[in-house]
Amino acid sequence: MTTLQFQENPTPTTQRPPRHHWNMVVDIDRCTSCRACVIACEAENNIPINTEDRFTQQRVNQWIRIERYWEGEFPNVKARYIPMLCQHCDNAPCEPVCPVYATYHNNEGLNVQVYNRCVGTRYCANACPYHARNFNYWEPVWPEDFRNYLNPDVTIRSRGIMEKCTFCVQRIRRATRGRQDVADGAFAPACVQACPSDALVFGDILDENSKVAKLSKNERHYMVREVLGTLPSITYLKKVEADAL
Amino acid sequence: MALTRRQFLKWAGATGIGAVVFNGCAAPDAAILVQSPLDIPEDLVTGRDNYYATTTESLGYATEGLLVRVMEGRAKKVEGNPDFPLNTGKHSARAEALLQSAYHPDRIREPLVRVGKGGPWRRESWDSAVTRFTDLMRGADPARTLFITSPTAGQMAAVLQGFAAGRGELHGFEPLSQAPLRAAVKNVFDADVLPTFDIAHARFILNFGADFLGTWLNPVHHARGYGEFRQGTDRRGYLVHIEPRMSLTASNADQWVYNNPGTEGLLALSIAYVLISERRAEAGAANALTGGRGADALSAYAPGAVAAATGVSAEMITKIAHAFAEPARGPALAIGGGIAGAHTNGVFNLTAIYALNQLVGNVNREGGVILNPVFAASRVTASPLRTWKQLVERMNDREIDLVVVRDANFVYGLPAALNAAQALRRVPTVVSFGSFLDETTALADLILPSTTPLEEWGAVVPEPAPGYAVVGFQQPVIRPYTGNISTGDVLLRVARDLNIAALPWETMRDAVRDLARQLQQGNRGSVVAPTLEEFWKRALERGGWWDMGQRLTGAPAPRPLPERADPEQVSDANQFPFALVPFETPGLGAGEGAHLPWLQSLPDAVSTITWQTWVELNPHTAERLGVRQEDVVLIESSTGHVIRAIVYVNRAAPPDVVAVPFGQGHAHYTSYAANRGSNVFDILEPAEERETGALAWGATRVRVTKTRSRQALSKLEGHWDSVQFADSPIIEITRQGQSNGNGTH
Amino acid sequence: MNNSLTKVMIPVVGLAVAIVALAVAYFVISAWWSQPPPILGFSQGPTQPIAFMHSVHVGQDAIDCQFCHRTVATDEAAGIPPVSQCMFCHDFGRIDGSQLSAEGITADEARAEVQKLRDAYYGATDANGQQIAPPSPINWQRVYRMPDHVQFVHSPHIQAGVSCSQCHGDVSKMQVVEQATSLKMRMCVDCHRQNNAPTDCTTCHY
Repeated sequence: MTTLQFQENPTPTTQRPPRHHWNMVVDIDRCTSCRACVIACEAENNIPINTEDRFTQQRVNQWIRIERYWEGEFPNVKARYIPMLCQHCDNAPCEPVCPVYATYHNNEGLNVQVYNRCVGTRYCANACPYHARNFNYWEPVWPEDFRNYLNPDVTIRSRGIMEKCTFCVQRIRRATRGRQDVADGAFAPACVQACPSDALVFGDILDENSKVAKLSKNERHYMVREVLGTLPSITYLKKVEADAL
Repeated sequence: MALTRRQFLKWAGATGIGAVVFNGCAAPDAAILVQSPLDIPEDLVTGRDNYYATTTESLGYATEGLLVRVMEGRAKKVEGNPDFPLNTGKHSARAEALLQSAYHPDRIREPLVRVGKGGPWRRESWDSAVTRFTDLMRGADPARTLFITSPTAGQMAAVLQGFAAGRGELHGFEPLSQAPLRAAVKNVFDADVLPTFDIAHARFILNFGADFLGTWLNPVHHARGYGEFRQGTDRRGYLVHIEPRMSLTASNADQWVYNNPGTEGLLALSIAYVLISERRAEAGAANALTGGRGADALSAYAPGAVAAATGVSAEMITKIAHAFAEPARGPALAIGGGIAGAHTNGVFNLTAIYALNQLVGNVNREGGVILNPVFAASRVTASPLRTWKQLVERMNDREIDLVVVRDANFVYGLPAALNAAQALRRVPTVVSFGSFLDETTALADLILPSTTPLEEWGAVVPEPAPGYAVVGFQQPVIRPYTGNISTGDVLLRVARDLNIAALPWETMRDAVRDLARQLQQGNRGSVVAPTLEEFWKRALERGGWWDMGQRLTGAPAPRPLPERADPEQVSDANQFPFALVPFETPGLGAGEGAHLPWLQSLPDAVSTITWQTWVELNPHTAERLGVRQEDVVLIESSTGHVIRAIVYVNRAAPPDVVAVPFGQGHAHYTSYAANRGSNVFDILEPAEERETGALAWGATRVRVTKTRSRQALSKLEGHWDSVQFADSPIIEITRQGQSNGNGTH
Repeated sequence: MNNSLTKVMIPVVGLAVAIVALAVAYFVISAWWSQPPPILGFSQGPTQPIAFMHSVHVGQDAIDCQFCHRTVATDEAAGIPPVSQCMFCHDFGRIDGSQLSAEGITADEARAEVQKLRDAYYGATDANGQQIAPPSPINWQRVYRMPDHVQFVHSPHIQAGVSCSQCHGDVSKMQVVEQATSLKMRMCVDCHRQNNAPTDCTTCHY
């Protein structure tokens, strides 16, 4: 397998030296597909309710989703699961195609979507090989009562805006505000916090002692569609296939 | 009037140009007010969040300890409580959805009284509604009064029992009964409370029918262990799952084995036969289990003899048996539940399965079945279908004058053949404490709408506990959103008026504090404090009290294996060629979660379908029936009832069974649930499990007929190509045994 | 009407229309961009339920901002004090407004305003001392409002030594608080650049 050649150093966007580089490790062997992460994310990030229509029209908005792949036929059939979310690629295909610089890479390794710049061309969604970007085809509406639980730390995206996983940047901001260092595991995005089997782990890869730094060196590590040279910030750990009895 | 920028924008917005230029830029009035409250408690400070610990056992299953993020008096996020022993910081989608339950637009907001039987509703003040209820209780005849609740343990149960004693019969209702499991646990381990499983340290799990990662007992607790089972050490655990359907747990298994429904006990005894006859089992246990007769006692269960009945080859049975007893693979653990206990021989099946644990001697050992000490608390367990049939009959015969229902939707959850709705209509007075207008509450004459779990006091004794006693304290983290009063508080208020001596408490808070006082005086466990006040504060902060020091040790003596019991044929297999496998989904459960849009939109694990009722058909079966994906079919049982379902062609579906999820088909239960999909309980045979009389919900046979209509499936699958490419797979796989196959963390 | 007059009128009317159109456009655009020009009373702050005067409290009495806006150094919002806090001085401190000497308000008017505060706290009473309204919170009109896509947090600014007046103007001179700065993004970014504060978009937008 060859890696396509891309420019060596993607252009730095700010003048400051990086203090953090947020990474996630997804252990597919631990994931059970319970989808606690999906609802935790929807609650944290003010994602509009995915109604039946949105599913039948294939316009579901889930920043993290569990994909299911089939292998084989009954009785020797396997269902395989993988949590899929924005990979926060260090060489992101979505970034250069945006005509209004609404998406860019910041110096903490986040692929940022700036809602107030976005004009809804959807070029980025076409460019993303992970289908991690969600477009607001409708004005988000909640019954008045449900608005009580909306998270005041997260902007509600209006119709015509592209959105995607932010690694819960509002939590990063809260945790790092006014601090130089944050202890590993002191905070986590909503999905990681919810994951009952600890399949998702989040942390700062620049901290050598962090759990993500150690796990991403695990023998089972790989990146999804690594061949595209997108340099994702999410490391997956391979599913282990045991021998049949 | 001073003109401001805002007024200018408003004014401009009202004109034609402004309507174009400023469309959408006017702020709603609420957004431009900033309030000086009279006084400022800590949780009303603008922009500051506080976390409060609470516990919940609602929504049908699983106690989870929670931390709720509260800002300005409103709950914003539910998170797991890292201290709480069962879920240690993690939580399920259902727990998250408690937010939607609290702020649901279709909550019943004030007491409702029906004007005349079957007449329209009239709103009533809390005072007069409670007085009305008190008067009803005063005039009630204990022989003609029923109290119905969901199963509960802790102070709510104490209040219910104290209230009902001498005033009527108290019955628990759960749609999918755990009675066979309880009976089996009693048979095998002589235990009165459910055990827990040390999944984290087991290395070989043999699971019969229990969807323990998805819906069974406490999935979050199990998943905590499952992660460690897979990658916690450098020896990866091996999971064998036996079930007539590929459930969430089955799809995570290393080996999924299809069996014919109801034959799990045969399989378990066949495995026992192999172990005993080949001397792989612990000799003492083998002796005790067979009454000293050894393998001869089980010769009828030789793999070759049961292969045809179970649908599992003799070779596979032998392989499973060998792997189960292989010391190098252990510790081995056998779990059974769900559909394995849902046939007419459920207790036999589960008893045989749990007895396997005795054969490898892993009871109360690391990686085995962990028995729970009995914590002295009030409990209301579910009454079996056998009892419910009698209750329905008594209602039909007009022998019941008053039914008081709390959190139990039996009109939805009993098989339609019983026609519980019609029976309930014949009861002169029905009182419901429902916060939502479910099918049972819709037939009530008086509704005293309760609070939701985030708004009320409680002390919950989870079952199963994690191997030691746990009490979860539930505190109101927000004010009752609609001003409703919790059921416990209403009952205690009425109890005071009725002078019920058994209930000395004024409010639920007092009841919880009373339990706290007992725990504080016990002077042990996770919170030890010199005064009640300090204990109270610290226990509420931590979300509960638990006593890790006191666990059970030693294994109970093995008892003889059960007598053979084959699944009964409740209807003709020629007329009804398919075995129906109904299943719970992680979101909706047996229908309790259908009113919450988050749970409705939670994709099912394997099919990824949401919001609908579908039927899973094997591709060849679908072809034989002449149906395609998204065709609508009718599913009919011998009860004569029919439901509609959309075909989902599932390549993991076995050919002779059809699987349909529980959860939909509500006539009421808020706008998110009403008139959506079909209710599987409608076609279930009212068959009873032989010993316990519980509903044998896995015993129904059905036929499937095609209709002309089609309906699009609302599923996540198909949004994008989900095909693995050989050159660049999405999910990379490594074979176990290769250098990187054993996760070394 | 004669021809020559029409000939004169066309450019005059045209010019007048153009000027009015330009003025309106200027108005609309500047209002849209930041604030309308300070004419016709546009610069004034909103009318508040109680004529609270910052000029008296901050200017004359020299009360520190953080005495009332207590959470400004620690939290996202500066915080509006609860009514009970106003009562520190206005009830227990027996300051009822009659001691006031300030421009633009008489002592009697001031006493009436303080009475509104007490009514909010205790509930209004009629002449016989009979309660006619329950205690109720005071709903102030917000003066500074950020767009929804901006997440502004006060505490780091205060901790970095930014003075309140940099954005809020000299409230000690304001009888009615008004928006003193445009709050356009350029203002934020300029200041962040000058002080070497982060200018990453996710500092404020998420």
